This record gives sequence, C-alpha cells and structure tokens, in this order.
Amino acid sequence: MELRRVEESIFKVLMIFSLVIVVGSLLAVIGIILWKGLPVLNIDMLTKTAQGGYYLGKGGGILNAIIGSVYLAAGGTVLAFLLSIGIAFYLQKEYSGGTRLSNMTRLSLDILWGTPSIVYGAFGFTVLMYFHMRASLIAGIILLALLELPIMTRAMEEVIKTVPQELKEVSYSLGATRLETTLRVVSKQALPGIMTGVLIAFGRGIGDAASIMFTAGYTDRIPTSLFDATASLPLAIFFQLGSPLPQVQQKAYASAVILLLIILAISITTRLLSKKYTKYIIK
Amino acid sequence: MSETHIKIDNVNAYYSGHPALKNISVQIPKKQITAIIGPSGCGKSTLLKCMNRLIDLTDGVTYSGKILIDNEDIFDRKTDIVNIRKKMGLLAQKPTPLPMSIYENIAYGPKIHGLRKKPDLDAIVEKYLKLVGLWEEVKNRLNSPASQLSLGQQQRLCLARGLAVEPEIILCDEPTSALDPVSSQHIEGQLLKLKNDYTIVIVTHNIHQAMRLADYVIHLYLGEMVEHGPADEVFENPKDERTRAYINGTFLEDVKIDKVIDTKGNQCPYNFVYAKQALHDLEKGKTLKIIVDDPTAVTEVPRGMEADGHEVLSVKQKNDTDWEIVIKKKG
Repeated sequence: MELRRVEESIFKVLMIFSLVIVVGSLLAVIGIILWKGLPVLNIDMLTKTAQGGYYLGKGGGILNAIIGSVYLAAGGTVLAFLLSIGIAFYLQKEYSGGTRLSNMTRLSLDILWGTPSIVYGAFGFTVLMYFHMRASLIAGIILLALLELPIMTRAMEEVIKTVPQELKEVSYSLGATRLETTLRVVSKQALPGIMTGVLIAFGRGIGDAASIMFTAGYTDRIPTSLFDATASLPLAIFFQLGSPLPQVQQKAYASAVILLLIILAISITTRLLSKKYTKYIIK
Repeated sequence: MSETHIKIDNVNAYYSGHPALKNISVQIPKKQITAIIGPSGCGKSTLLKCMNRLIDLTDGVTYSGKILIDNEDIFDRKTDIVNIRKKMGLLAQKPTPLPMSIYENIAYGPKIHGLRKKPDLDAIVEKYLKLVGLWEEVKNRLNSPASQLSLGQQQRLCLARGLAVEPEIILCDEPTSALDPVSSQHIEGQLLKLKNDYTIVIVTHNIHQAMRLADYVIHLYLGEMVEHGPADEVFENPKDERTRAYINGTFLEDVKIDKVIDTKGNQCPYNFVYAKQALHDLEKGKTLKIIVDDPTAVTEVPRGMEADGHEVLSVKQKNDTDWEIVIKKKG
C-alpha cells in the first residue's frame, strides 16, 4: 500500500516537471523576445517600409515585411483550407470507405508534414525556373499552402473523426444525405477543432522562412500585384540578425514581437468570432 | 391480426463473416407496438438497424434477404434509402441532440426535406414539441443549445425531432435505458399514445417494459428468432422453452440452478450470511440463486462471494425491487 502511494507521488512529480519545462520554455521564449525587442520597437518600424539603408542602421521600418507576411500567410491559409477541408471530410469512412485509399492519403500527408520546408522551397524554385518565372507573391502563397496543407488536413481529420457516430446516424435517420450530414451536423460539431487546425497551420505558414526564400523573394516595396516579389517577417528577422550592426540585430527582436502579436491577434479574433457557433456543441 | 407494415423475409446478417441474424422472417403489424426482446448481443439492434439500413454504416457487415415496407424492398440497391429513412423516425439508446438549438433540432428534418418558410417551421416546431409534452418546458428558450436540456427532456426532443419528418414508423433502440424512472415512464407514455398513428418497433432488454408496451413480440436469441406472436400469447403462454425461461428471468446460458434462497426483506450483511450458509450445504460446482431486494446487496453480495473464491455467474434485475444473483460454488 505504501509503495503504491510512493509510485503515485513520483509520477506526479515527473508530470509536473514536464509541465514546468514546457510552460517554462514558452515563457522564456516570449520573455526574451519581449525583453530584447520591446525597447527598440517603435512606430516607424510598423508604419514605414525599409528604405535603402534600413539594414545598415538607417531609418525606416519593416512594413513591407509585415504586409508581405500577412498576404503570404493569409493567402496560403485560405488556399490550403479550401483543399484540406475537402480532403478531411472525404477521409470520413462514409466517403472513402475507411480503407486503403484513406490510409494512403494519411501516409502521404504525414510524409509531407515531416518534409523540411527548405525542400518545399527548393521544389518551388525548380518549378519557377522551369517556367522562367520570377519569385512572386503568388508563388510564395502556393508554396505556403502546400506546406500548411498536411498540417491542416490531419488536424481537421482527427477532429472530424471524433464526431460521434450517433450524431451522424440521427441525421441519416431523418433522411439526410451524406453531404447534408457533413455540412450541417459534422462541420458544426467539429468547428472548434477545424479552427484550431487552421490556426496551427497559419502559425506555421507565417513563421516559415525557408519555403518562401526562393519563391517569394525579398524586396523593400509592398507588393501591389500577385506577381510582385514580396518581403516577409521571418526573412526580415533573418536578415536583421545577420547584420553586423548591433542596433539592426536588436530590431530583429522587435520584428519577432510583431510576428508574435500578429499570431496572437488572429488567434483571439477567430476564437471570439466562433464563440457564437461553438455553444451548441454536444459534449 | 391487423395489417402488415414491415415484412421481414429471410434476413441474414453477418459481422465480418460471423452470423448476427439467421433467417429472420416475420411480419410487423401496422399501428401497433412490436417489441424485439432478447438478451444482449442477440441481434436485436442489428435487426432494427436493418430496417432503416443504418447498418450500412457499420464496418464489415453483410446482409441478405428482403425487408418490404409498403411493398418496397429496402435492401434493394436501387431503392432510394434516403427517402425510406424519412418514413422512419429513430429513437436511439442515448439521447442524441444535434449540435444546434432546440428549435433547429426539430426544424432540421423538415428543412432538409425542402421546407423553408419560417412560419411553417415555427408551426411544426410548436406542434411536435407539444405532442411530446416539451413545449411548456422549453417555449421560452427555443434558441438555447439542445445540450442544455436534461437527459429526459433531450430524449423527448429526439422523439419530437423524429416525428417532425412525418414518418409512418418509429424505431426505438432501448430508448429508456439511459433515463431515470420518471423520464422512462414519460417516454413509455408517449409511445403508447403514438401507436394510434404510427407503427412502433422497440428493442428492449427490459422484459417488463415489453409487457407494458407491446402488442406483438419477437424474441431473438443468438441471432435466431425463437418465438414471435401477439404479446398476450407470448407472455402468458410461450411455446418455446427459451422464451419461457427468458420471461421468467431465469435465462442463463443453460445453467441449471441447484438451490434457490430468498433473502428479501433482509439487509446487508444478513443476506450475505444466509447465502454463505446455503452455499456451504452445496457441493463444489453446484449453483445457488439468491434473490435480494436490498440495493446494497446487489453489489456487495457478488463482491463478497468473489472474495471467497466463488464464481458469480449473473446478476440480473427481475422487477422494480428484486434482483437475482447466481453463484457457482468453487474452492
């Protein structure tokens, strides 16, 4: 009896230890970025583009990278969503039969998920070269969509799978078709999970540098068409950190703060917007 | 006997090759309550799910035979199953509201069948909520989530939702097994009222519920239909030995009971002590049936017997107060 109680407390300590490491790392990352970034963050960084000598320590900001990143990640997320919602619904056994096809799809998605983003970048670059195209916003969006697709699809699919069979049976028993059941019942019940999937993928997309390095390019201007090259926050951070000048290096942290704030803002707005729809969920 | 509504003709069903239903042929009468009874795992739910082909959603299932509803074979691949299902409301074991408001739960069916006008939907929602006696309780919160209702209310909502698509048949799969006694009574009352207008098929393992509700009874045992007929005949004078045993509550995979003691009126631990004494007089391997009416004894007697090294063969509720515990002497 005594031994079992000791076991219990050892495991409890281990679990708390893991928890502290995870939460601690998160707090440390955010803390260091805020500590180093906030003092140098100024209004110019948010409102001005990088004119000429910005990376040499002169004035200007990274508005071009902020806008560029929002365009890239939003475009990529929308595109990935359009594709992955279909795949995720199709992977339900009512459609795919829950058999070889769906297992193959899952395996492909998992492999894509595990593929380093620089490989996507190299792939995109090869395709661009083949068509004699220049780096552009649209190429970056497509690449990010490809990068986000497996994450989003697998996250959504896992949630859709947890929708109770009884709910679907009720819908079918009322004479609903598969499509009606999917759109009116399954999607409602799975909504919070679907959104989490979108958010995770968005975060991954906006934070990725390697896949867009060769495909979206980098420029000091704000893109005005889908075929312009565009700057992005991860690359802005990369270039600033790579600068030999300490005042430019510090601005990399300020850029990271901006990146964090964007993700936070998107996260909070989505959750607030969806509150209206999630209260009906059957627990 | 009245008109036939559902004609089940030589139906067989297999789960990954294992037979779940064997050559079932029976006719379910119109506007009566038909109860499908039998022990767990005997194929009751499978037969019910065949009737609206929800069985298609189960993995690895195959079936053959015919089920005719209004002369349409629902097993025929050419039959439009979506339309067939509209004819049948389903009341599931667990109350299953859809992830929507109370109003939308009722309006869901009519909406997918093409009703769009708000006043029409309003009228339907009110009509069917009134029919199941839920209107007064929810009329001021029609837009709140259905999941906030109590389990009993949810089950009545589910009944109303099924009725709102104007079915001819109501299929019930142990509809009260997750409910408290008062809510169960409420549902049973509804079903008795509804049988004037609908054909009702109810799967139940509660023999007393079947006695209270059924006009016609089908007894399944291990996938076979061992008996079927009008309820009074089956309950009062069962032709099949297995049906008689099941109705008398002594149905125990052919176990012979060597001794019975009645400890009704005794509290724990006295019933346990009497049971131990009775068991003491028996030889090894013999069986003892103990009848108890003390709720504590229902859990404590089997536990104590197991602690003593005996085997508990079954614990079964016989009626509202009495339970039967069957013990095999070991060690």
